[in-house]
Amino acid sequence: MRPLPKFQYHAPKTLAEAVQLMDTLENAKPVIGGTDLVPLLREAACSPSHLVDLNNVAELNYVKEEDGFICVGATATHSQVAASELMRNAPAVVDAVSRIGSPQIRNRGSITGNLCNASPAADSAPPLLVYDAEVKIVSIGDTVIIPLPELFAGPKINSLEPNELVTEIRFPVPPISSSSSFKRISRRRAFTLSVVSVAAYVELDGGDCTEARVAFGSVAETPIRAPGVEERLTGEEMNNQTISEAAEAAKQSVAPITDVRGTAEYRRDMCGVLLKRALNTAIGRLS
Amino acid sequence: MEVSFELNGEPVTVTVEPYVSLLDMLRDEMGVKSVKKGCEQGECGACTLLIDGVPVTSCLVLAPQVESRHVTTIEGLEKNPLMIDLREAFIENGAVQCGFCTPGMLISAYALLRDNPHPSEEEVKRGIEGNICRCTGFTKIIEAILDAVERIAPE
Repeated sequence: MRPLPKFQYHAPKTLAEAVQLMDTLENAKPVIGGTDLVPLLREAACSPSHLVDLNNVAELNYVKEEDGFICVGATATHSQVAASELMRNAPAVVDAVSRIGSPQIRNRGSITGNLCNASPAADSAPPLLVYDAEVKIVSIGDTVIIPLPELFAGPKINSLEPNELVTEIRFPVPPISSSSSFKRISRRRAFTLSVVSVAAYVELDGGDCTEARVAFGSVAETPIRAPGVEERLTGEEMNNQTISEAAEAAKQSVAPITDVRGTAEYRRDMCGVLLKRALNTAIGRLS
Repeated sequence: MEVSFELNGEPVTVTVEPYVSLLDMLRDEMGVKSVKKGCEQGECGACTLLIDGVPVTSCLVLAPQVESRHVTTIEGLEKNPLMIDLREAFIENGAVQCGFCTPGMLISAYALLRDNPHPSEEEVKRGIEGNICRCTGFTKIIEAILDAVERIAPE
């Protein structure tokens, strides 16, 4: 038995209250699903004096379309996102969030928490990166929107100030001519960190790719986009040769490390393999 | 602090520290031992229960987070027809050996069949992917759940 460290618990009912608490309390951490945070607390990897539970803030629980964006409120669970009709045009996001952890974890955890945890292996990150997702951050008297890459400051380090709360993740409504896919390699399917993951997004005009976006997880200090690979695809006819060249470019574009989950060489090779699979799935979804 | 919620249909109020997990509160303060303590990281699923009907691992839930919610363990589903079918199917298919994973496994299977009365074998596997069994093996558990499907609504 590993007891949790002592902390004070706060359950605000409105965003205004939550923001106020984050501003006034010393060493406070927000909690949504707790699926990452509670194990960290048990390991004493972090020791907040206060936990601010956002689950009772009703105004943060939504998946909606607004002003040309698909918007996911902070407390929307993976299960909620996976089941949302609005995600139908963003299949890579559904691929990822419908496979995160296990049913129990998806019922509790949120994509906001997954992203704020800033793991290089966060499975919701590559798909949201290829959809050009943005992060809405609220602090007392201030709301800012930043591109998702700016949320990631390093491995398991986010760029938030202590008094800031992420209230929403949003991305532009994808065009009808677009599709995407997310692929990962892991030791087993459920509940394990990705050794490598990739998200591929394409917009097609006939057989030609008019826009391509590619992102990788678990190959760098943060989840990353791969602009060099995207350039290889954009404007090209999508055939086996183009895809193979992009896969080769993918292998050259990453500089992974060796760790307990896999070697650098394996990860590099698998970036190519997974990109091929992801592109083929995304293209297949459009036909 | 005080936490008031509904446990298996009965309103309860418990005085508990906020840094106690729902799992520990149920086992140590309330004597509910069907929720098992395995990994305490949400990986093994032995502590699975329903909050407002949704399966979650209670080791990752803080006690105060169930304020005003409905918590259901297998005790609360004792007379539920679906759970009765599942239970009998588990027994008759030899899906229980040591039994440690069984309460959590039954809760996951219950939620699966409640939401999807005719799952494929693949869907059954995905439905219990958050529950680890280390002695019976998964084959008989999967067979039992598929057998329960037949018992509930034979086609």
